[in-house]
Amino acid sequence: MKDKTFIAILAIIMVIGTGVTAGLMIHGYNLWKEISIVEMIANWG
Amino acid sequence: MDKKKLAKQLGVIALVIVLFAGLDIGIYRLFIKRVISHHSPGMQKMSVEVGNYVPFTGSENVFSVKDADKLEGDIPTIDGAAALLPIYAGFVESIYPESSVIYNGEDYDPASAMHYTNTRGAYKDIVDGNADIIICAAPSDEQLQYAKDNGVELELVPVGSDAFVFIVNAGNPVDNITIDQIRGIYSGKITNWKELGGKNIPIAAMRRNKNSGSQTALEKIMGDIPIKPDYTALFGSPIGFSFRYYVTGMLGEGGVKILTINGIEPTPETIADGSYPVAGNIYAVYRKGETNENVKKAIDFMLSPEGQKIVEQSGYIPLSQ
Repeated sequence: MKDKTFIAILAIIMVIGTGVTAGLMIHGYNLWKEISIVEMIANWG
Repeated sequence: MDKKKLAKQLGVIALVIVLFAGLDIGIYRLFIKRVISHHSPGMQKMSVEVGNYVPFTGSENVFSVKDADKLEGDIPTIDGAAALLPIYAGFVESIYPESSVIYNGEDYDPASAMHYTNTRGAYKDIVDGNADIIICAAPSDEQLQYAKDNGVELELVPVGSDAFVFIVNAGNPVDNITIDQIRGIYSGKITNWKELGGKNIPIAAMRRNKNSGSQTALEKIMGDIPIKPDYTALFGSPIGFSFRYYVTGMLGEGGVKILTINGIEPTPETIADGSYPVAGNIYAVYRKGETNENVKKAIDFMLSPEGQKIVEQSGYIPLSQ
């Protein structure tokens, strides 16, 4: 694999990975704002 | 040579993919899985949904007196704690004119005589003049200071009581806790459930926002002992706290259990006779020197046998018990 191709693939994976992680964090934060402490404990086995 | 290089490149790509996957699975397991609501939207506001407690809608959750004298003239604005909405919704339905309550389907209109915020918002509103009566647990030192700084003195009239309860996941084998153990947990001295006879798992000591009614109640239990942040919280089994009524509505849905304190279960009887050690008053709060006669009339109603019956029917402990 050429270095350019390798770096391009790696860059795409990094962008997708960072995007998914950021999306998960934002989604979790939005859920956290809506949930009560009682529910959170119920979910936290 | 090229094969070696290719293997190395593929190894790096695989490693990055595995690292991202591991990170995302960790985020899901430690965070997102715990905050997915299995109940209705808006649960953060309260265990009881605001839409189920709107006066004059015929809601079976609102208990009121049908033949009470209605207030006339300058109708005081009433607000309060999330957990106490059932009580003041009942008071409002009993003595407020129906036209004074304006609910738009999601929240109360600013022009409505009944509002619904939470303890923090309600104490700010009574000081700022945006509410005339609030139904809340005792104020925090910070809330009292805010009133003092603004030249407002607050009158607190007890209209009922409820227990402050500690809750754990239903799968936690620990059933009882002592006041000293609570202080130990929230001061960071007790950090593992095995110290309380449970499993060898760290304790995740959950807290609330500063100036919320239940966080203020915890601070009163702790006294001068500082509450320490729990940095192991993500990996432990949780303990949290709230008011009894706020939790009991959720118990039927499973998942949590209320701990006995010093072996005493929080029941209406143990709260009323004082044997449950951390019961707290529910107050009607108004500004000292209030000139609106309807404020006094409303509080007199809350203290009357009819008003106290509403407290009891709504699931709290009336003064008369």
